Amino acid sequence: MKLLQATSLTKKFQNKIAVNSINLTINKGDFVALLGPNGAGKSTTINMLTGVIQPTDGRIDFDGRTSNNCEYKNKIGVVFQNSVLDDNLSVKDNIMARARMYNKPTQIQPLINKFGLESIWKQKYGSLSGGQKRRVDIARALINSPELLFLDEPSTGLDIQTRTAIWNVLDELRHNMGLTVILTTHYLEETQNADYVYIIDQGKIIAEDTVDQLQKKYTKNILTLYYQNGEPKNITVSDKNQAIQILSKNSQVISDFAYRPGTMNDVFMNLTGKEIR
Amino acid sequence: MNGLVYRNLKMYFNDRSGIFFSLMGAMISFILYLAFLSQNMISSWGKVPDARLLLDPWLIGGTMTITAITTTLSSLSLMVKDRESKVLADLSLTDISYIGIQCSYLITSVIIGVVMQLIMYFIMGTYFLIVDNSTFDLSLFPQILGIAILSSFMWTIFNLLILSFVRKVDTLGKISTIIGTASGFFAGVYMPIGVLPTTMQRIMKYTPAPYNTAMYRNILMNSQLHKSFKDLPASVLTEFKKIMGISIQLHGTLTFQQDMLIIIGFAVVISICVLLISSISRRLVISRV
Ligand SMILES: Nc1ncnc2c1ncn2[C@@H]1O[C@H](COP(=O)(O)OP(=O)(O)OP(=O)(O)O)[C@@H](O)[C@H]1O
Ligand SMILES: [Mg+2]
Repeated sequence: MKLLQATSLTKKFQNKIAVNSINLTINKGDFVALLGPNGAGKSTTINMLTGVIQPTDGRIDFDGRTSNNCEYKNKIGVVFQNSVLDDNLSVKDNIMARARMYNKPTQIQPLINKFGLESIWKQKYGSLSGGQKRRVDIARALINSPELLFLDEPSTGLDIQTRTAIWNVLDELRHNMGLTVILTTHYLEETQNADYVYIIDQGKIIAEDTVDQLQKKYTKNILTLYYQNGEPKNITVSDKNQAIQILSKNSQVISDFAYRPGTMNDVFMNLTGKEIR
Repeated sequence: MNGLVYRNLKMYFNDRSGIFFSLMGAMISFILYLAFLSQNMISSWGKVPDARLLLDPWLIGGTMTITAITTTLSSLSLMVKDRESKVLADLSLTDISYIGIQCSYLITSVIIGVVMQLIMYFIMGTYFLIVDNSTFDLSLFPQILGIAILSSFMWTIFNLLILSFVRKVDTLGKISTIIGTASGFFAGVYMPIGVLPTTMQRIMKYTPAPYNTAMYRNILMNSQLHKSFKDLPASVLTEFKKIMGISIQLHGTLTFQQDMLIIIGFAVVISICVLLISSISRRLVISRV
């Protein structure tokens, strides 16, 4: 079921086009990733979708509402790329003050448990580690029990454990409450679990599809041959039969080989001609 | 809106160094007074008995005005900081309307102005009670509270007007320094208004500061004025009030009520300016978030 639709969304800054006529369709309950290098226009897109900035052109439709509608705001949660909580206040003061800014009753205790905020509840937000801050940021975004959660590069600078922990909580919310998640990232691994991926470069969507389809469309499988004497060699092959053929032809001269399907990294390389990181 | 006022208050009172700097102007006036101003003035008013007991409340009156100016400015600067750090974007996602957010900053600022003025009043009053044996008349408290609320409101609006033009936190620091320093002169504390050149006096009278101070001094000095001047000719009293900025000269001598009306007048005019500016800049502010 369609939840959010953006049509020819455009944002111009002075004379610079940050987002150039992009179309997005987000289905309910999906996990959608916007993937792109620095400066691609990801944050600008998110800011338009959340109503924080006004688009220069284009339309946003969320269940029949536009982005400056009050009810719209009530149904979304946003984790900004840079933290917007107060360093000088404790985690408790930050979260409780935000909770009091909503008219509807809010449930804080479940968020404290889910994100493990108990031990840092009285600590100043400014003194938290990067990963702890992120957990608080996400808890803040979930205060109003949104239907749609936007995350702008939530895991930049976090270690694997913290990232996994955050993803587990989000997955749980997705399954239990049917939360829809839109996330921007330049970590390719993070898109592997997405239901749908938009690849953005220089303000345009250059490809969009499910991860499987993108990999099928834009990558080949890669066979690496390690010769007994000298350099390993990468060969792109279209299927396993071709690989077996190559292997049997070279079986005498190679010491080992590796075979892997194309990844999102290859998709990105092939689309833009550059590495993402 | 309660949530935001609560958060803004916490932001001010949790920031010890911020409080210290917002009281800087007041502390400078206090220290200058102790160091040499009081001595100077006592010697120039040698013919008035108990001059020191007159000058202590005189200083308190002026310092209260400085406190109102600088603490409301310091509190309101949170508005500019929030705008620049995108906190405003996050706040706009809550159920508080744009107007509600703006009002929260104003309410916070008025509260902080009143609280800090009262704190300064008690600190200075107690100090002079101990050191100079001045009277600390608690029956004046209701009137002091009234003036504190009026001046806090007045200076909140005034500073809001100034901050409407400020877009960068960087500029904010410079503005607070300028206002902090200037407030001591305009409130007539660093120097009594009557000893300044006429042009300077005229400029001061275009701001609400001297009227604000005059209101405080009228209340705080009233009983001691009666005592000190009871054996002197009325013209000496009038002269003293004029030079020391207890009654301001504006087409004649202003009364306490007239001072109050002038301040309310300033508040109304500045409010209208702020409303006009904000209706123009609102789109700008929102689109910049
Ligand atoms: N307020 C602004 N004024 C002018 N240009 C802007 C503004 N905001 C963004 N831009 C420009 O728009 C482009 C897209 O920026 P955006 O922040 O959306 O990129 P991004 O994809 O989020 O990058 P990153 O991965 O670094 O966060 C950039 O070239 C940026 O310089
Ligand atoms: Mg970004």
